[in-house]
Amino acid sequence: MSAAPALVVVGLSHRTAPVALRERLAFREEDLVEALAALRQSAGAAEATILSTCNRVELYVAAPGSPAEVSLRVRAFLSEYHGVAATELVHALYERHAAEAVRHLFEVAASIDSQILGETEIQAQTKEAYRAAAAAGAAGPLLRRLFERALFLAKEVRASGGIGAVQASISSAAVQLARKIFDDLKGHRVLVAGTGEMARGILRALRSAGVADVVVLSRTLERAEAFAQAEGGRCGKLEDLDAHLAASDIVLVSTAAPHYILRTEHMERAHAARHGRPLFVIDISVPRNVDPAIHKIADTFLYDIDDLEEVADEGRRQREEVARHWTPRLSQEAQALLNEMRDPGPGETARDLVRMGDGLREAEIERLRSAGQLDEAALRQVEQALQRMQGKLLHGALAALREAARAGDGAAAVQWANRFFRLSSEDSASATAGGEKAASTPEQAPQPAAERAPR
Amino acid sequence: MGPEAFKLLAAGCYLAGAIAALVGLKRTEVREGPWQHVLLGLGLTVHSVGIGVHCAQSQTHFFTSIEESLWLASWALAIGYLVALVGWSLRSLGALMLPLSAALLLISFAFREPGPPPSAGLAAHPLFTVHVLSAYLGYGLFMTATAVSLLYLFEQALLKRKIFNYVFRALPSLEKMERAETLIAWIGFVLFTVAVGTGATMAKRSGQVAWYLEPKIVSTWLTWIVFLVLVVGRASGRLAGRATARTILLGAALVVCTFFLAHPFREAADGQSAMAPARTALGRGEGER
Repeated sequence: MSAAPALVVVGLSHRTAPVALRERLAFREEDLVEALAALRQSAGAAEATILSTCNRVELYVAAPGSPAEVSLRVRAFLSEYHGVAATELVHALYERHAAEAVRHLFEVAASIDSQILGETEIQAQTKEAYRAAAAAGAAGPLLRRLFERALFLAKEVRASGGIGAVQASISSAAVQLARKIFDDLKGHRVLVAGTGEMARGILRALRSAGVADVVVLSRTLERAEAFAQAEGGRCGKLEDLDAHLAASDIVLVSTAAPHYILRTEHMERAHAARHGRPLFVIDISVPRNVDPAIHKIADTFLYDIDDLEEVADEGRRQREEVARHWTPRLSQEAQALLNEMRDPGPGETARDLVRMGDGLREAEIERLRSAGQLDEAALRQVEQALQRMQGKLLHGALAALREAARAGDGAAAVQWANRFFRLSSEDSASATAGGEKAASTPEQAPQPAAERAPR
Repeated sequence: MGPEAFKLLAAGCYLAGAIAALVGLKRTEVREGPWQHVLLGLGLTVHSVGIGVHCAQSQTHFFTSIEESLWLASWALAIGYLVALVGWSLRSLGALMLPLSAALLLISFAFREPGPPPSAGLAAHPLFTVHVLSAYLGYGLFMTATAVSLLYLFEQALLKRKIFNYVFRALPSLEKMERAETLIAWIGFVLFTVAVGTGATMAKRSGQVAWYLEPKIVSTWLTWIVFLVLVVGRASGRLAGRATARTILLGAALVVCTFFLAHPFREAADGQSAMAPARTALGRGEGER
């Protein structure tokens, strides 16, 4: 157990850092593979995942050493990789170790830690972060279990925790603001620059609020076309942004560009042609794609991702309530998962049990086949019956092993299972080989199961 | 029950309505309740009855004293708010309009000096009542549009500063307020044009001195031009957003000038009667102070 890697998360979020700092520490999707490799090398990490969204940048790392040492290495990596002085990050970065790190991920994935409670994007972003790490070979079994569990719990929280009912997503916050400027969104044109998932979410919300006239711009016409076809609207190239500004009322910017694509000079040109008609600009990109100075132009209202939280204050109140309800459960789940991961014994015993059951079942089927009294159809029926019986017989034992592992009492459970099922390696091997010694009669041993009991 | 009692009662209703509007900024259930409609309706009814009783008792439809001018101005403001409330459900506007209406009524108690008796010639002139009513209603609607513009600019400032407090939540959208201020100003402009037209007709008959020598008339024409620019600018789509609100504020400043340059305030200020030439011509100066 002492050799187990330390699990830490180091990061910053909307709670600890302004968007200006978050955008400097953000990882671009196309740089993730390289960044993960650099992180693993720099932090000496066995496994690593980078979750980089508009609201947070978090590095989940499993590495040998004490959690404090690992955290220091990750902090140094962040500072070096982005060229940001470590002193600038002192107060912005937070770190969580072991069970706290697990619980943190659970809360992030479940949107409890989100800027706007109940926003749906974070679940997909968490999934994508793990997928990217797995594809890059940076996520191993530890992070797989961690992220799988986090996503499973996120679904549960959404389904039963009332969090989905809050409807305080970034999208609805944007719609709420748009309705403060424009009474009826029906007759207003929305210009979408960028074809990201968040832009899609906001556009859908705007559409359900009545927007009918949509223009989609992207760096490549193909992307814009595909987006416009899926969501409705016309398409064009990002270079034509200037030409569309004067006739648009809401501009939604969400590109992956690392620089401003909408500057004051664009807006000033458009402003002259707009004759004072208000323009609502939503910049959900990190790094930001719209020059913050445009907010100073008359009748132009620029809102970035940080501003949207202010709008959804109702969601914020409910967040506290939902968090109060879910935090103890998520803490319990985090500790349980960590116990499971720390003590592989119960898991291995459970696998041994299933293997033994499979071996016994296959041996019995083979014996019946050799006797030649049953045809293939009958054999299949017998095998299915044996599988069901194996599942039912082993279910209790497997569940008990799992519960013991989650409670940190795995060693006793393993001992008990070994004694009860005579699971010494010798017994297991002989049972798998012939089945005669371990189960001379069907009553004496658990029957095979095709389906593994749920874990 | 004398007109004073009606005035006091109307002021009470407006004040209660103002409190409901102010509380409604914070509490949705009050904002969405019927309080403002009920209190405004009650206040306006009592206010109108009071004016009727006053006219019946004094045998005049003139409003020549400061007290009467403030009384009628308060009524015109309440009518303006009624238009905004019925037309656009601008309940938050009550927080500005109703205290103003109540204040004008209460201030009018401080000016108890009776106005001059009616001039027979003016009283007999068919356009005079139209002139007075259209002028006051025009002023009332302009001031209502101004209040909407102030709310517009306030909400715009909140959006610019990203302050999302309860007042922000209570305010309607910018677009709705822009529509309301434009249409209210437009109706006010029509009434004000009638007032200007009838006034010009009467002045022509009175053989008044050159119009450009009369500050009230200069101010009136400037007001009319500002609102004409507003109406044309909005209709052509060349005026929108903050510029609309600012144009209305400019017009409102001129409205205030025009109102206070007019009889009887100017009389009180410099002892001259702005209406003197007209009265002299139309009523042979009967009853002039």
